[in-house]
Amino acid sequence: MAQDLERSALARKLTKPFSGLMATTYRWVDERLGVTDLAHQLLYEAVPRRGAWAYSLGSATLIIIVLQIVSGMFLLWTYVPSTTEAWESLNFIEHHDEFAAIVRGMHLWGAYVLFIVIGLHMVRTFVSGSYKKPRELNWIIGVVLFLLVLGLGITGSMLPWDQAAYWTATVVTHVISYFPLFGTQIEEILRGGPQMGPDTLTRFFAIHIWLLPALLVPMIGLHLILLRRHGEHGSWVNYEGVEEETEAERARRMAEAEAPYPAIPSDPGYAVPVDLDEFFPSQVFKDALVSFALVLLIFVMAVVVGAPLERAANPAALNYVPTPEWFFLPLDQLLVQFPQAWMIPVGVFVVPGIGTTLLMMVPFLDRTPGREPWRRPEVMVPGLFAILFLLFEAMLAVGRLFNL
Amino acid sequence: MADERLTISQRRMSRRKFMIMGINAAGAGTGLLIAAPIVGSILSPLFYQRKQPWVLVADIQHVPVGVPTAYVVMLDQGGDAWQVPPVPRTVYVVKLNLDNQVQVITLSNVCTHMQCDVHWDINLNVFFCPCHGGEYSMDGTNIAGPPPKPLFRYEHKFVGTTLYVRNVLTEGK
Repeated sequence: MAQDLERSALARKLTKPFSGLMATTYRWVDERLGVTDLAHQLLYEAVPRRGAWAYSLGSATLIIIVLQIVSGMFLLWTYVPSTTEAWESLNFIEHHDEFAAIVRGMHLWGAYVLFIVIGLHMVRTFVSGSYKKPRELNWIIGVVLFLLVLGLGITGSMLPWDQAAYWTATVVTHVISYFPLFGTQIEEILRGGPQMGPDTLTRFFAIHIWLLPALLVPMIGLHLILLRRHGEHGSWVNYEGVEEETEAERARRMAEAEAPYPAIPSDPGYAVPVDLDEFFPSQVFKDALVSFALVLLIFVMAVVVGAPLERAANPAALNYVPTPEWFFLPLDQLLVQFPQAWMIPVGVFVVPGIGTTLLMMVPFLDRTPGREPWRRPEVMVPGLFAILFLLFEAMLAVGRLFNL
Repeated sequence: MADERLTISQRRMSRRKFMIMGINAAGAGTGLLIAAPIVGSILSPLFYQRKQPWVLVADIQHVPVGVPTAYVVMLDQGGDAWQVPPVPRTVYVVKLNLDNQVQVITLSNVCTHMQCDVHWDINLNVFFCPCHGGEYSMDGTNIAGPPPKPLFRYEHKFVGTTLYVRNVLTEGK
């Protein structure tokens, strides 16, 4: 009954700008499509009250991915995926189509900002122990999403078919040839032949605009469905004192929990945050401000700096020094540190493979109920070490490539 | 009576099982029909026959002994898928002086580590790769850095003193 009242209040709020025919039309559609019910389901749920600004990183990731999909769609109005015309079409944009150049700039800077925001989102989840029971699988889906976005980044950087793109594509496809047994065959399949050629570009274009997004979008859907199913975990500040509470207190909190809580199965006490808030408008407000600030940053970078376009690809180059995209610098440094014969596959596959596996296994390596980072040194210390290692490798690579 | 009912329910079960088997078989067949040509098209580059014509490089008399000389040659002439127009590649022509016998080799400038472009560094007297610091001697032998193999060599032939190469690579020594 109370819910019905709340729902009709929401219906009134949603139809407020309308009157007369508009309101009648809205009611007609709503009775058939259930728009008000849907809005209610999407907007009204309980979320943890404290630390809410940090939780806006996930929605910011989503908004930037939507920006990437939309800007990508409109880059296709001009871009031609051909070794003879890709560079020409982008060069035309850069010199004769200021707005398309901004769209291209936003697609590039959107990718750069996306990597940083995803990184922070993962650090937030890691530090707060949000991957613990029952959210282990959503952590793994998150890691898969991160890998898909890395794949989108590297395939996207090949498409301009300028010098940077050509030599990136050359190195990336040749890295794969060091895979045991089938390496050379995989390289040939990806290149459409033993050497870089016209079908190399069409393949990576197809992977970038169809294959990876077709995997990414449903995985994002699953990520969000599981988020809604378990409710937002938040961070340890929302669970102060839960390990000392009595059985009766805990049972009362569980009984009074608003949807989607309690999250079950759970470590005792952690099924419901102590302090709850409304998703709409409290959390949505913070999400909206953070996303706006980030999209503004992307827009400004697109207008002021834009996306570079080097000279057209020249396979006969003699003095071109390719530098990888910044998010691949640590991997590039591993190529130098594992020289010669059998060591190369170790640097290319074994080290990153072990790193990725450990990242996926985090929920199963850290099984104590404690959420506070200082109570979980067995994952926090290696995690910190891993981040410092990546930064250190990137610094070494920058020093080597730019002769600092 | 009871037995008869049992038979009917068993018959219903087997009918149900039959339909589930049918769904699985039809699903597998549908998937196979879609997947087979796709997998074939993915693997087809492994079986594609590439024609590699001989391409003129230079008159060998103009190449100095002991100085690797870069020539830009239009090597991809429709040999790789639908490649038009031809793509330029660099061939290093090297006249080696071995026991007063001049030997000509035609080196690819593609690094054997990650396939970046190497160039002859006249100060260091090596082929140098800027990507990860690989170095090769004048005959293409990998002497420092990460490269696992010597530089590859293009197949070459002479017509009189005129040098021709084609886009077929052999392992260096």
